[in-house]
Amino acid sequence: MALEQELQAFKAGLPTWKAEHEGQFALIKGSELVDFFTSYDDALKVGYSRFGLEPFLVKQVHAFEHAQFASRLIEPCPI
Amino acid sequence: MAHFTLQINAGGGPVITVFVGVSHPRAVALQAAGQDIPASIEISALVDTGASCTFVDPAIVSALSITPTGSARVNTASSGATPHDTYQYDVALVIPAARQPLVIQTLPVVACELRPNQNFDALIGKDVLNQCLFIYNGAMGIFTLAY
Repeated sequence: MALEQELQAFKAGLPTWKAEHEGQFALIKGSELVDFFTSYDDALKVGYSRFGLEPFLVKQVHAFEHAQFASRLIEPCPI
Repeated sequence: MAHFTLQINAGGGPVITVFVGVSHPRAVALQAAGQDIPASIEISALVDTGASCTFVDPAIVSALSITPTGSARVNTASSGATPHDTYQYDVALVIPAARQPLVIQTLPVVACELRPNQNFDALIGKDVLNQCLFIYNGAMGIFTLAY
């Protein structure tokens, strides 16, 4: 599964991060948090610049993650 | 403000042509790795105020050979009450126009199966519409996108 380690690291770190980093973007490589960024673009730029085409995760920190939605009959591609 | 006006597609609604390519940071990484940058793909997309973000068919993701850099929880009209965890991909999106195209160099998108049921390859959601003025003139059968 792609990003398995990174997603686990995000899940594990979220309870600690949400108080001070709500709304920021976490950049995670493997099981390590690299840093937090105020914008998606900045996190992505640093991710590609440091790790090139290797897998890394950029994910916004939210105490409660709101689901994206589409009102049409389309099938999500599950992880 | 740049803008264009098109006919509402009788079967599909406000459908536009867009170009989807790899994001600018990924293009830089590909170049640094000595790899070719995939050409942007011309697709049909529905402007959809009922979509919270931009969705693309997984065939687009495959054609660009991109890997996920994020994840999102997704609810659709056919996915039931429980959100699905899905991958998120970073792309570049260009909406062409005669005078001035709308260029978004980095946009997170979610892959959803669109092609089997719909006549378009992407839904342009409110993440993009938040940068635009969208006028749907059903009485005249036209719509306008300004940005």
